[in-house]
Amino acid sequence: MNLWLSLAWHSAWSRRFALVLVTVSVSVSVLILLGVQQLREDAKRSFSNAVSGVDLIVGPRGSATELMLYSVFQIGHPSKNMGIHGLAEIQRMPQVRWAVPIQLGDTYKGYPVMGTTSTLFTEFKSQGKSVEWGQGRAFGNPFEDPEAVTEVVLGAEVAGHFAHKMGDKLILTHGAGGGPEDTDHDDHPLVVVGILKATGAPIDRSVLMNLEGFESMHQGWGMGISPKALKSAAASLPEPASAKELQPVNLSAVWVGLHNRADVFSVKRKIESLSRDPLMAILPGVALDELWQVVKIVENSMVVIGAMVSVSAMLSVAAVLLVAMSGRRKELAILRAMGAAPRALMGFVLIESVMVCFIGIVMGYVISQFLIVFSQDMLRTGYGVVVQPGLPSSQSLFSMGALFVVSVLASLLPAWRAYSLSLIDGLHPPSV
Amino acid sequence: MTHAWANQPPLFFIDKLELPQGKHLFIQGPSGCGKSTLLSLLSGVLQVQSGVCEVLGQDMSKLGSVQRDALRGEKIGVIFQQFNLLTYLNVASNALLPTRLFPSRAAAATLEWGSPMNQANSLASALGLNKNLWQQSVHTLSVGQQQRVAAVRALMGAPQLLIADEPTSALDESNQLEFIDLLLKTAERQQASVVMVSHNPRLANRFDQVFHMTSGVTV
Repeated sequence: MNLWLSLAWHSAWSRRFALVLVTVSVSVSVLILLGVQQLREDAKRSFSNAVSGVDLIVGPRGSATELMLYSVFQIGHPSKNMGIHGLAEIQRMPQVRWAVPIQLGDTYKGYPVMGTTSTLFTEFKSQGKSVEWGQGRAFGNPFEDPEAVTEVVLGAEVAGHFAHKMGDKLILTHGAGGGPEDTDHDDHPLVVVGILKATGAPIDRSVLMNLEGFESMHQGWGMGISPKALKSAAASLPEPASAKELQPVNLSAVWVGLHNRADVFSVKRKIESLSRDPLMAILPGVALDELWQVVKIVENSMVVIGAMVSVSAMLSVAAVLLVAMSGRRKELAILRAMGAAPRALMGFVLIESVMVCFIGIVMGYVISQFLIVFSQDMLRTGYGVVVQPGLPSSQSLFSMGALFVVSVLASLLPAWRAYSLSLIDGLHPPSV
Repeated sequence: MTHAWANQPPLFFIDKLELPQGKHLFIQGPSGCGKSTLLSLLSGVLQVQSGVCEVLGQDMSKLGSVQRDALRGEKIGVIFQQFNLLTYLNVASNALLPTRLFPSRAAAATLEWGSPMNQANSLASALGLNKNLWQQSVHTLSVGQQQRVAAVRALMGAPQLLIADEPTSALDESNQLEFIDLLLKTAERQQASVVMVSHNPRLANRFDQVFHMTSGVTV
């Protein structure tokens, strides 16, 4: 090994406790920066993939972001509905492979309830993967089996949270609950017939049921007041209705899958020009991009915070090494007396601080990848974010490179101090 | 030769001071008279401001700082009052450091003694150091032992000049005399001159020449 490298190593080893702390502080700050960046990239990707099989989302004309938020992510509530006849018209279009109605509004202990059809389970894809069954089966077809209106399927998170098993009975809440009167659908207990595996999509947080079942719970309700509460009309509860009579009048949204994605714009135009009521068809990817524009400020400020934390860590490396320099005066004077030029001593000190920063940066990256491996499942099931360990992205490489440059610049401070001390001290090591 | 620190009157003025190769010089004087500054000039750490300073046949005022550092590294040995050794290297690595820094020193040691380690062993026995100290940590050595290791290191590769700044002031009286005698005897064996600064006038009679320094005085 080169003599100076070997000396630098021995010298650093003699001060290893302080240097290890400094290295750890560098790696933690790099970890923050890289973590923020990777989460940002992966979150974006997994949100875009959350509805990867859906080519178009159809809903009443209005805000595209809003439609996507409530129909896909179940954030917010639909303010308008679209007519049921739109669904049939969309399904008749030759380019359309499948169209699934989405009916929203009720909740189960805070989790959204989605009225739909069993086609959803065969066609929906999240992160490019189809839905898989943990237990049980899809709810039945109410046209064949009248009992099917009481059947529900639970997303993995809902089932896990309440430890629901097959056959459990659920009572849903009308709307978000919390109204002045009793708003539970306790006259319509439902039975769990299937539990889905985790997909990473918002469907994990949903209670899924038949459109007809959803409708049957609302028979006799007017303006959000339960039939029981309508005392004047309390004479008789409605008779159980047949599946045909349970067709809803309105839908919240329709998810559409096409035979050929290339047709997406022509189908979009066709849907939006349907005569009966004003509809809107949105491309989930485009709507998500609009959403990202909104959250960009938050995103960017997180990156800026990460960068500032990192730069401050680099400066603290410089500060710690600068302070340590007073303690190294003896060492520098001894080397100087043996003929080492001030410039050589400067390099000697520089090697150490550059190595500390380099090791810290690499360590931060390695730790970030380890954390990703360990938190992968938690992030996927808990937040629907799919993170993947791997080689650094070009953005991460750029950040690490920039941090390394900053660290080398910061390292010049203690190195310069070594240079000037060796000139000042001359042959006199301070005697302490 | 004169030397002055920035914004201060000249520290000293030396008319003429000469030391033949192989002879030893003792420099005496009160604190602050510029003894250590003179050593810094002789060893090439400081730039000569005015006058002539010739060391080992080289005019120091004509050499750049890099050349002066190289001259010191190759041909001069230096011993301080204390803390001469790098605490993170063992005793042997400290002693051998000059031969690793400058190939010419390693070559000189090999030419005369067969290998740098052989020379270190021979110097150690001449200075009364036990060989089994070699692999020990510097911390385990007494101050006297540390100064002897420093002397071994300074004499590695047969430098022609040994500069010692109060090398004995951390030692007690009897050890001081013993150390100086061994140092001078060992240096003589390698035909090296010793220039030493000390407060202790009782050491002066061991030297060929004595130089009394007082501030601003002509000699």
